[in-house]
Amino acid sequence: MLLFIGRLTRKIANEVVDKAIARMAKDQYTENLFEMIPVTKKVGLINLMENVMRAEHGTPPGRPFGTHMRFSPWDKLLFNPVHLHRFPTPENVAIDSSVTIGKNAKKPLTISTPIMIAAMSYGGALSKNAKIALAKGASKIGTATNTGESGLMEEEREAASLLIGQYNRGGWLNEPVKYKRLDAIEIQLGQGAQGSTPQRTTAKNIGKEYREVYGLEKGEDALIHSRLPGVDTKEQFIALVKKLKEETGVPVGIKMAATHHLEKEMQVALEAEVDFITIDGAEGGTHAAAPILEDDLGLPTIFAISRAAKFLAKKGAVKDVSLVATGGLVTPGDFLKALALGADALYTGTIAMMALISVQTTKTLPFEPPTGLAIYNAKATEKLDIEQSANRLFNYLNAATQEMGLVCYSLGKTSLSDVSLNDLCTLDPFLSRALGIELGYVAPDEQNEYFEGFTDLPLHEMARQNKSESSAEQHLH
Amino acid sequence: MNENELQQTLSYLSSEINRIETIAGTLSGVESEHYKTLTNLGEDEKLQQLALEEQNASRQLGEIKSICLALSQKIEELQNKMPQ
Repeated sequence: MLLFIGRLTRKIANEVVDKAIARMAKDQYTENLFEMIPVTKKVGLINLMENVMRAEHGTPPGRPFGTHMRFSPWDKLLFNPVHLHRFPTPENVAIDSSVTIGKNAKKPLTISTPIMIAAMSYGGALSKNAKIALAKGASKIGTATNTGESGLMEEEREAASLLIGQYNRGGWLNEPVKYKRLDAIEIQLGQGAQGSTPQRTTAKNIGKEYREVYGLEKGEDALIHSRLPGVDTKEQFIALVKKLKEETGVPVGIKMAATHHLEKEMQVALEAEVDFITIDGAEGGTHAAAPILEDDLGLPTIFAISRAAKFLAKKGAVKDVSLVATGGLVTPGDFLKALALGADALYTGTIAMMALISVQTTKTLPFEPPTGLAIYNAKATEKLDIEQSANRLFNYLNAATQEMGLVCYSLGKTSLSDVSLNDLCTLDPFLSRALGIELGYVAPDEQNEYFEGFTDLPLHEMARQNKSESSAEQHLH
Repeated sequence: MNENELQQTLSYLSSEINRIETIAGTLSGVESEHYKTLTNLGEDEKLQQLALEEQNASRQLGEIKSICLALSQKIEELQNKMPQ
């Protein structure tokens, strides 16, 4: 029977393909189905469908998981193994992966792996089950999870041995009774996928438990403002950090979208004496955001980390302020490169969610996307198995930490935090100059010689002219 | 509590933290050996999961060592600030 169906299917497919090719060969191009191929290539499949969505709904599409663009060229960096001039780490030496965030805080936060679970809020993004599973998986490995921009959910607090809470622009966690129960406070000023743009969840999409956690009235929308409530000046921000540090003793930091104004933003944070700074690159994920915010706003993670680390070094603040990197970090290789560039720890969101759902994708595919298992009020929310999810996340974090450790043996390092710029080379001359990493094309003692002529390039002249023009403009203003 | 008693208490805490650090280091090595042993006992899924948990325990004991070291430094700072 199966053989018969197989043969019949082949025959039908053959007929259809033959006729389709004959039709495409004969029809005028302007009336030809084949026109979809060049137009899709011109516009891009994603843009094509998102334009259809705009036309259908009249509102910006809310794209999940952030931009599809890989702005940061992580694949242009390679680690440098050692053999004789410095010896590899012996295999019986354990690679230390623990990290302390906010060393100067009264109660510093120590985690067993530099990978933490990114801010993904209950309600605004994820279901209660997904949040509990994230907290359990993170606790099992000994790392922290993050509330995201929400209130304090009791179940998450109970499941998380280390919970970083976001003092947020919605104001839902901003009361002492809530933030005093956290292990670190991250003042949420913005995020890579959305900048500091306001967000709104309509009341019709908010259930009873959501309202309780957020402290919302029935019929009230959940609003994330562009500014923190009560913070309209630099002085108010500095006073807020001081107050939170005094009241709690836990590390107090900020989270911001990576921007070309990075150093100016960080300067204010340093004046406020924050314990850590989280930089979310342009590739950062989100529950849903307008494509323009995800694709056209911010600064790629790789440059943001490098600039932030250099700025902390310039200010002599490397030991006092921990740098947390996030945004589009996909592989353990990306993670370790981020650490080498100067990050102390990192957050992963999209990848953590994929690990969490893992083989449970079969519960929704092929008719619904797997995110339906973890999103608040989605069709398959109740089907997510919390224990299985937590174990898969634990397994993923264990594997990723171990994978980073494997490179350390080859580098002759005994701790993930010891990996530095010197352990990398790059395959791109511009990255070499921008990030301060030696170019792999030429020997270390030929680096300067190789770059000697670069200052004569027209680009360099253009950059100099642009700089003088922009400073002239500033004088005018 | 007078200064002398406080100094003695800090010394006691410091010595106990050093012991915990040593024990954590030893146990971390033991757990690491368990991981290796368990990964050699076939393809049983439960045993493999136990192996991963042993590996994780080893890592977290390593973390305890780091915490102990940080605590010892804090205590030393306190002791140095006290009049001798």
